[in-house]
Amino acid sequence: MTDSPFDVLGLPTRFALDAAVLEARVRDLQRALHPDKHANGTAPERRAALSRAVSVNEAYRTLRDDLSRGSALLRVRGRAVSETGGAADPAFLMEIMELRETLGEARAARALDRVQKLAADVEASLRASSAALADALDAKNDLDRAEAEIGKMRYYRRFLDEVALAEEDAAATPS
Amino acid sequence: MSLLQIHDPAARPKAIGIDLGTTNSVVAYVAPTGDPVVIRDCDNLALVPSVVHYTSEGATIVGRHALDRAVEHPYDTIASVKRLMGRGADDPETRRLGSYRFATHEGPTVLLEVAGGRVVTPVEVSAMILRELADNAQDELGAIGGAVITVPAYFDDAQRQATKDAAKIAGIEVLRLLNEPTAAALAYGLDAKKNGRFVVYDLGGGTFDVTILDLDDGVFQVRSTGGDSQLGGDDMDRAIATKVLDALGAAGTDDASLTRYALAAARRIKHGLTDAATVDAELAHGDRRARFAITRVEFDALTAPLLERTGVACRRALRDAGMDPTLPSALPLDGVILVGGATRVPAVRAYVEKAFGRAPLSDVDPDLVVALGAAIQADLLSGEGRQDDVLLLDVLPLSLGVESMGGVVERILPRNTAIPCEAAQVFTTYADGQTGFDLHVLQGERELAADCRSLARFTLRGIPKMAAGLPRLEVRFAVDADGLLTVKALERTTGIEQRVEVKPSYGLSDEGLERMLLAAYDHGEADVEARLLAERRVEAERVLMATEKGLREDGDLLAEAERARIDAAIAALRVAHAGTDPRRLLATIDSLDDATHDFAGRRMDRSIQKALAGRDVGMIERDTEQARGIDRAHEDG
Repeated sequence: MTDSPFDVLGLPTRFALDAAVLEARVRDLQRALHPDKHANGTAPERRAALSRAVSVNEAYRTLRDDLSRGSALLRVRGRAVSETGGAADPAFLMEIMELRETLGEARAARALDRVQKLAADVEASLRASSAALADALDAKNDLDRAEAEIGKMRYYRRFLDEVALAEEDAAATPS
Repeated sequence: MSLLQIHDPAARPKAIGIDLGTTNSVVAYVAPTGDPVVIRDCDNLALVPSVVHYTSEGATIVGRHALDRAVEHPYDTIASVKRLMGRGADDPETRRLGSYRFATHEGPTVLLEVAGGRVVTPVEVSAMILRELADNAQDELGAIGGAVITVPAYFDDAQRQATKDAAKIAGIEVLRLLNEPTAAALAYGLDAKKNGRFVVYDLGGGTFDVTILDLDDGVFQVRSTGGDSQLGGDDMDRAIATKVLDALGAAGTDDASLTRYALAAARRIKHGLTDAATVDAELAHGDRRARFAITRVEFDALTAPLLERTGVACRRALRDAGMDPTLPSALPLDGVILVGGATRVPAVRAYVEKAFGRAPLSDVDPDLVVALGAAIQADLLSGEGRQDDVLLLDVLPLSLGVESMGGVVERILPRNTAIPCEAAQVFTTYADGQTGFDLHVLQGERELAADCRSLARFTLRGIPKMAAGLPRLEVRFAVDADGLLTVKALERTTGIEQRVEVKPSYGLSDEGLERMLLAAYDHGEADVEARLLAERRVEAERVLMATEKGLREDGDLLAEAERARIDAAIAALRVAHAGTDPRRLLATIDSLDDATHDFAGRRMDRSIQKALAGRDVGMIERDTEQARGIDRAHEDG
């Protein structure tokens, strides 16, 4: 059994996390472990430091992002979240489909302002989901609810990735 | 010759920093005073044009004198070779530049035909430039140790690997590949002793990078990076050159000499427009003559689309760092640093000021700052310099993944992941009794494999016959501190492991490298042996010193028997060091490594405990609260 990312960084096992605390922790550890600090060490020292530096960065990557931190916490509490998430509820899927359609239209019309407006709306939904996830995990220990919010956040993220690409396309090929 | 100098006890080999640029390259080192210094040639010039000329007699000329021959011998004078690094022959970029003569062959690598029927690869051309810089450094310093070589932050794995291969061919030990913006920040930040969040906007001759990083008491932590490895001052030159060719009545010419002439004229005109509002030029090539006038306003119109492309990358980098790019003046930034010769163009400065809502800093020469930063890092890595104060934490610039069903990319490591890093993904078979599994490794942000950079394809073999969906193939990606990828694959139900060296699709085989290495140096067998012995002696000294340091610091972690075994291995290594057998040296180094394996692990765990105990979470919270208090006081005042 490998250590949880919270253990690797010596942080309390909960969703709420002060970003500044996480950053400081990672810096303190990398000051001791980063390969640059062992450039003149023996080969075993370099290997030992590298594998630990990698674990610290892996834990950092997991905890700095609220979605993956939520998933990691669910795993610690005994619930494995699948990558694709469970079946989302139909109303939510409808919402996503409509958003996609609107994005498609704005993209076809090369309407950058509409694309950006759409992105702002979805970012707001993403923040709302993250707040709900925090409440489900830290206050209520409602794992079903937490899993549902994680599923939603995945959809929103994927949507924002597409928006970013659409924006780049629009800028790369001026009409 | 260099061998003798390595042994000269008076001249300790000095680590150097190299900025291997598209247009110009620079080499620097840290002087005994602790300040980084660029190395200048006999004409007091620091910039070595990244140009290699191949003469029909089989000689090579690098730098300014090579550049002088570009118009007369366009095909034998290779410029801007960085844009071809790690690229395939079928890459559109390869076909865009004009004055190269590509050799046709079956492999995927780009081959350039030069004088005397010679054929060279971009990696070899880069190796010539690196060798020239190392020679310049050696003239100045007596003996050089390893080098930190900078690469654009946005370089993908293939481009990084190609750069490392070039150093290998040039006989230079690479201490680290360092991202150019990070190097620039290092040179800047150590100078300014300032904490905060900075943007580095680096528009070079052929590449564009934007990096957002936090500087906190000597830790340079990259938040996000973005860019375009095919965009730079070269493109401005091309835009002007097109107009120049029009003026000469030679639009769309395929005359390579004329193209080179137009590019050189364009570059002079661009430089002129930095200070003047209008440039009026007399053009003359062969029997073509023309007058050509261009205003800065016209030039700005030509560069506007290029700058807009940098803007896209800037906005994405800001978003990736958790900032909103829509209100530039509200961005929580402490400074914008300009790097690269192309940032001298007034339109670039104006654009940067608009995009980030503040006037950029440029008090360090934008052409030299990268090499200065590389020198500082080289100094740190060679065990000198302010090792305890400084740490560079960088990121992976482009996502890594594999192709999955339907040509879609399955992302394994997302862009902006802190390096070194690792991640694994488990795959399974889709046919009963399937014994092989194809993996296609990709880099890039697009959803479809066809739109991403193909790094490597390989087949995992020897999967035991099982029903479809039963085998568990764990594919592990590891990215080291140079940003270079290794892929390991493990069949988990049986434990069959395969390690795959990701040699990029367009890369060189080890054999190919070996051949070029031998071609580059006319070393006889005895020289190779002597070199090997010298290198292993240095390595032995390093290992002895490091082991003794470990014993001094953490000797209490060892049981008596362990300590005795290590002491015996040290004694054996000392004996081998006094002898002349490089194989024996290697064997005794290895057995000392074996003896200290567990000790090293315990030492690292102890340093983790120390780091965790140094500041507990409560203390960090108080520290950061305090820092915020200071920030607030700052804002109020």
